[in-house]
Amino acid sequence: MSLKYLKEAVISNDTEKLIRYVRLHLGDGNEAAGGKEIDKAWIEALKLLLDVPTTNREFIVRTLQQQDAATLAHLFFHLHFYFVQRSGEWIHDGNL
Amino acid sequence: MTATSDNAKQLRPSLWETINERYPGVMITKDDLIPLVRLKKPLPEARLTFISSAGIQPKGTMPFDVVHPVGDYSFRRVPSNSKVADLEIHQIKYPTNGAARDLNVIFPIERLQELAAEGVIGALTPNFFSFIGYQMDPPTFERTLAEDIASAVVADGADAALLCPA
Repeated sequence: MSLKYLKEAVISNDTEKLIRYVRLHLGDGNEAAGGKEIDKAWIEALKLLLDVPTTNREFIVRTLQQQDAATLAHLFFHLHFYFVQRSGEWIHDGNL
Repeated sequence: MTATSDNAKQLRPSLWETINERYPGVMITKDDLIPLVRLKKPLPEARLTFISSAGIQPKGTMPFDVVHPVGDYSFRRVPSNSKVADLEIHQIKYPTNGAARDLNVIFPIERLQELAAEGVIGALTPNFFSFIGYQMDPPTFERTLAEDIASAVVADGADAALLCPA
């Protein structure tokens, strides 16, 4: 899928094309695997908070306030791969 | 891109069709020829560079951005006298098990160093060049990364370039 294809999907609000692209990216070309990867990242993040550990909320709030949306979006993708890697079920061939 | 020599040949005529079949949305529409030019001096007198999409980089340099959904349009210089132990791979889109055992299978730096030492190749450029192959915007790839690497290759005084996709 080209960038042009994705931008046209944004203009026409074709969310199916957009989420399909995300799944393909996260699943290395396998859409079903990409969907599972999204679930895996959220499950891993949830597990870490169930015991309500102390977290650095000041850092979170400061980051959200001070960083631009594109940087946060980029961080979102980094966090996805971070939690997938942390889950121990790494489907990708190489390394981050 | 336009062919610049009479005997220019498409190396893999069906390549673009294959890519577009696997990646719907018309990722690549290029249908012109890849220009090939004759080597202007014998290989034993030529300075060779190596360009790879394998995501190889010197340890300690900023890792390639393998998580970005649109790709990373930067490249890394890899000193051609590097030792394999000084290099690492940042790439998640191709199997790297073999390369982890012997980097030369994907980035044959030691073989090229040997060929230069034996005189089969005249010399190596001071740097080789590496990037990741996951790029979702071919026009940006051509305008930025490809042009940047081409300029760097020229600055390094290359007579010939060996390109190796991962």
